[in-house]
Formats: sequence, C-alpha cells, structure tokens
Amino acid sequence: MEIKKTAMAGTLESSDVQIMLSQGSDGITFDLVSDVAKQFDDAIKATITAVLALYGVDNAEVKVVDKGALDMVIKARAMTAVQRALDLADEPNWEVM
Amino acid sequence: MADIIRDINLNNPTQRQYWQTFLSELDIDNFNEKELIGIEKIVGLFDGERLVGTGAIAGKVLKYIGVCDRGATSKGARFNQVMTTFENYMATLGRFHHFVFTKPRYIASFKHIGFGVLAESSLGAILEKGLPDVHSFIRQLPQMGNQTSRIAAVVVNANPFTRGHRYLIEKAATENDFVYVFVVAQDVSLFTTAERQMLVSKGVADLKNVVVVSGGDYMVSYLTFPSYFIHDETTVIDYQTTLDARLFKNIIAPARHITRRYVGSEPLSETTAHYNQTLAREFDDSIELTIVPRLNSQRQVVSARAVREAIATDNRQVWTEMVPETTALFISENITALQTRIRKGQKIDGN
Amino acid sequence: MATEERLRRTMMFVPGNNPAMVKDAGIFGADSIMFDLEDAVSLDEKDAARYLVYQALKTVDYGDAELVVRINGLDTPFYQNDIKAMVKAGIDVIRLPKVESVEMIQTLEKLVIEAEKQFGREIGSTQLMAAIESARGVVNANAIAMASTRMIGIALSAEDYTTDMKTHRYPDGQELSYARNVILHAARAAGIAAFDTVFTDLNDEAGFYRETELIHQLGFDGKSLINPRQIDMVNTVYEPSQQEILNAQNVIAAIEEARQKGSGVIAMNGQMVDRPVVLRAERVMRLAKANHLVDMEGNYIEK
Repeated sequence: MEIKKTAMAGTLESSDVQIMLSQGSDGITFDLVSDVAKQFDDAIKATITAVLALYGVDNAEVKVVDKGALDMVIKARAMTAVQRALDLADEPNWEVM
Repeated sequence: MADIIRDINLNNPTQRQYWQTFLSELDIDNFNEKELIGIEKIVGLFDGERLVGTGAIAGKVLKYIGVCDRGATSKGARFNQVMTTFENYMATLGRFHHFVFTKPRYIASFKHIGFGVLAESSLGAILEKGLPDVHSFIRQLPQMGNQTSRIAAVVVNANPFTRGHRYLIEKAATENDFVYVFVVAQDVSLFTTAERQMLVSKGVADLKNVVVVSGGDYMVSYLTFPSYFIHDETTVIDYQTTLDARLFKNIIAPARHITRRYVGSEPLSETTAHYNQTLAREFDDSIELTIVPRLNSQRQVVSARAVREAIATDNRQVWTEMVPETTALFISENITALQTRIRKGQKIDGN
Repeated sequence: MATEERLRRTMMFVPGNNPAMVKDAGIFGADSIMFDLEDAVSLDEKDAARYLVYQALKTVDYGDAELVVRINGLDTPFYQNDIKAMVKAGIDVIRLPKVESVEMIQTLEKLVIEAEKQFGREIGSTQLMAAIESARGVVNANAIAMASTRMIGIALSAEDYTTDMKTHRYPDGQELSYARNVILHAARAAGIAAFDTVFTDLNDEAGFYRETELIHQLGFDGKSLINPRQIDMVNTVYEPSQQEILNAQNVIAAIEEARQKGSGVIAMNGQMVDRPVVLRAERVMRLAKANHLVDMEGNYIEK
C-alpha cells in the first residue's frame, strides 16, 4: 500500500517517540535522532518497519525523534502514524493490531 | 502538576506586555512590526499562572521560541513540550516542514529534536525539520553535466523578467557548460510565482544549456530571514546575507557541482551591494563570483522595478524598452489585471 | 453480580496519551488504574491515546491493580472505536463518562458484547462502571447502578456535576452532599462499588484529608485521584484500627471453627454471626493486609 499523505504521531516528551511518515520510493528509509545509545537504533527501526509491513507499506520515508521510548510506545506511535498516513484514523484496521 | 499550554493573544495589551517581558529576560527583545507581522499563533506554557515557555508560528517559520527551565521537572522538558505543541498543531493543518532561525547557542537543542542545520554563522543559524526537506529539494533538481563540467547558477526574482536578467543569464550561458536559473518562489510580488517562473522560462527558451527551476524554500529573499533575536539592527543585513551565502555554498552548489555564481551589479541599492560583497567574501575560492554590470536601456538602467513603475503609470514605451518580447506580450495581455493588483495595494517598490 | 469484593480505595487517573505516565502507572500501588481517553486527551490525539493504552495493556505488567479505561462519551465519534480497542486489549473495566440513563449503559453493553464476540474474548469478561456527572445522572443513579450485571461501580464526577447544578466546588463539600448520598445508596443497593470524585488542589493537603475522611465516614469504597502522591493519603484514612483488626480476626476464627465442625452456623461469644459482619471482617482483613498491618498469617504487626 502507498502512503497517501505525510503524517506524524507522538511527541518530543520524555519516554515518547515522534514518528513522521512520508511517501517514499526506495523502500523504508530512516532518519533517526535518539536520546538513547546508538545500539538501540536498529531495534527502533525494526519495530517501525514491522508495523509498516502489517499495513503493507513497503515504501516510506521515516523520520524519527526518539526520547527513550519503550518498544510498546514505538509500536503505538508507528501504528497511529501509519493509520493517519493511510487515512484510516477513523476506521482502524483491527486485524493488524 | 504538569505545565499547561495556552494561546497568547498579542492584541491584549496585558498579555503582550507579559509576553515581551518574559522574552526580554531571555535576551530576545526585538518586537518590530516586521518581525511580528505574519505570526498566526503564539502559545505560552504556564506553570500555574507563571509563563515558562513560548513560541510563535509564521507560516513555515517558528520564532520567538523561549523557555525558562526554573522549576521544571527536567532540563529541556518545557522546550520539548512547546515544540511538540507547534509540530502537532501544524500537523493538523497538513504542514510537516518548518524552519527555525535562532542563536548559535541553541543549535544543539534543536538538533536534539530532529532539526538539521542548513547554515550557521556566529550571528545566527537556519535549521529545518520535516518533509519535504532540502534533500527532497535537491533530489528533484535536474542533473546537468558532471564533475568536469563548468556549471553556473543565477538566482532571480524576475518581477518581471527583463532584458537585464536575459543579459546576465546569456552571459553565464556563453561562459559555462550549463546554467541553473533559480527563480525565487515566495509569492509576494506583483507578478505571481507561476508568472515569474513562466516568463523566465520563455525568456531563455532558446538557450539550450540553461535550465530554469524553482528556488523552493532554499533560495528565498534573505531579507525575509527573521532577525528577532538580533539586538543590533546594523548587523541584521550581515547575518541575513551570510546565511544565504553559506546555504548556497555548502548545500545547494555542491549537490549540482555548481562552481560559479553570476549576479548583477547594484549601483542603486546599498542592500544588494552589501549582499554581493558578502557572497564574494563567503564564496572565497570555492565558488567563483561574477558581478555583471547592469545593462542600460536608452534612458536608464534596466530594472524590474522601473518596469513595474511603468506598468503602474501605463508607460508602455518604458517597459517595452526594458523587457524582452515574451515579457512584453504577457504585460500587454494582462495590463488591466496587473494595474488592478497595484490599485488593490500590491507594493511595487520592493523586489 | 459480576463483582467479587476487592479493595477499591484508590482509582488513579492516567492521561492516555502520556507514555511516561502510562508506563509507570503500576508503580504507585493504586488499587485501580484508570487510563483516560476522554478529558485528558485533545481531540487531535484521540487515536494516538487509544493505541498507546492498547499497547500498554498488552505489554506492561500492572501487577494486581484493576485496570479501568475512561472512554469517550456516547455522543462522540471516538466512542465505538474506543470500546473495540479496549475490549480487544482485554481491559478489566470500561468507565463511561456522563451517564444519565439506563439506556446509555445498555447501549454500551450491547457494543461490548459485539466487541467481545468480534475479538474472541469471553462474553461477560469486560466489566462496566458509570460516572455520574449531572443532575439527571444523580436522579437516575439507582437504575443506572442496576442497569447491567457487568456493573462494578458508579462514581461521582464533581466538576461537571457542580456546573450542571449552577454552583462550583467549595471546601466543605456541602454542594455534593445529596449526590454523594444518592450515589452511595445506589451502589450499596446494587451491591457495587461507590467512588468519590477527584480533589484537584494538590497544595491543599488538609483539604484532601478532610474530604477523604468524610467519604470514608459515609461509606465510599474509595476515591478517584489525579496524583500518585494522594494514594498513601487515602490508604492512611482507610487504615483499620488495631481494635477493628482484632475483632475481624475473631470473626475469621469463628468462621474457621464452624467450617471445621461442619456447622452451617457461625457463632461468636454465644451470638450468631450474620453475613454483613462476615463481609465486614473480610474487608477489614483485606485493608489490614494492604496496609501491611498483618503478616501473611493474619497476625497483627505492631507499628
């Protein structure tokens, strides 16, 4: 599925993560800024990529500002962002949750 | 208890005074009309009744960002809360890309929340965040030639495209393998952005090694760079022109192997003369700057401003002398509409 | 009744879109944690809060706390998706705000049943509670409390209620006197829990104690809270005295004696012990344990 419009979810506050999704043409590309150690970068990317895959999104430009979010928070924000980007915010895809 | 975000209304004298006092204590005290105009929303972060953070939005630009960490739960928490408020507010309006102009010492704070530096000097910095960004802009620029080509750039507002612009671009085209003409995209001129871009394209259509592109968000009029955090008015122009020059030199030019820049000489405007000086200083050895003397028509120096004045006074003879046929034809066909814009208040003495 | 007796002294509000507070909600020892999708969440973030609470419910260990979510009202576009997401996540209790009629609870129950079927959850596993926030709600409180076998409690929400009553909150709480008594009676008659409203002035500790002592005296199960600091304060007020614990221990011993004798009648000091006394004794012992006043065997620990 293609991203219809740029969308964002999350905040810049402690324990949160801000995720912005935009149309891409070259797979899932990341631009990631994180408060925590570099070694978590791959885990953050993997979580977001997995959520995007659930919605069949395989092309997207993803900008992430991580403020030390737990995996479950990253998942929730990614889900919110992708539903917004696909115009599904009012009609969630229950199967993938 | 968490701090609360509330709107601040500058039309309310008490709120305005309180807001200005707060910012002044943070060393931001330039509240010129020029800076305040265009602000669409100001928010305040309140700890009880005490203002502890603020910021304003004007289009794509965030300004007057100020935060006091006294009594905060953690350093930076209030800054992050204010910025989140703006970014989420803009997201609801479908805006996902914004700029910040700030003092150098705040660069790190903005980088920490995802901003990237476009240009910086000892006086100030431009940062951006979101999409589409400068990389998106560069990606969509056509690619001409290669590392070994001689590639030049010209930046024009072309309000409207004159024989002077034509002369400048033609000169660049003969002296180089390829020329990028960037047309300033801000839509604040007598001729709309689409009209200006179209007139430039038509005016150089015969020059096969010239490509006309939009300057996007990255080749704007440097005069519009916010300077609310600069105390000394006389350094404002230096701050603005330096950032403009560095953004071009460090980000735009390398992306397309541009090694030369052509500008018109400016006998009439001190600001533009200053700009040309700054370009020369900043480009140093990495980009060769060519200042081309202004073209003269039969009576006076060719300038877009003179053309606009001629349109206002319906002086066909003057504008015909100063613009190429393509522009002249457009003016003739749209003379009533153009004169109506002027009558309705469109300024013609700017750029 | 859906309700097994459990302590509900403290129901702590947690803003549903705040990851720091959502993830840490379990560490303060509240009896119930109430994730708020309603007033604490701005209109543009309703979806974000819903998914955050959903993920938290699926992954965070909140220990023994009862998990409650305040969904958006029946008249909002978020209501139905809130119900679905929370039922799917396996929430213990859905708290409906601004309840004024039995029909509102019935509509909610219908949608909860649908969601339980859709997501393969046990029918009846999702419990309900109502927040009463208006004069109409107070007038209909008895029926609301008995509107469904899933009901576990009703709560007074004073901000909206006092506005509806054309007054506001006062330190002495006289303006809430009728509503508190009505809600308490409705709850007791229906055999469910009664929750008092929040106390918002965090700087007025004396006022908080005064109000908590009042609702404890009236017989409320507990209170809604907006700050973790208030949890210990409520627990202190609800702490049983040594004498109460000793009495309760005697009752428990009598029950045990009757059980061992195989006798259907519980007797103490030559008197029959009837059911309310048994229930109170059990409740006192639960409170004593929760306040660490007795050890695992139920022996009193001197402070």
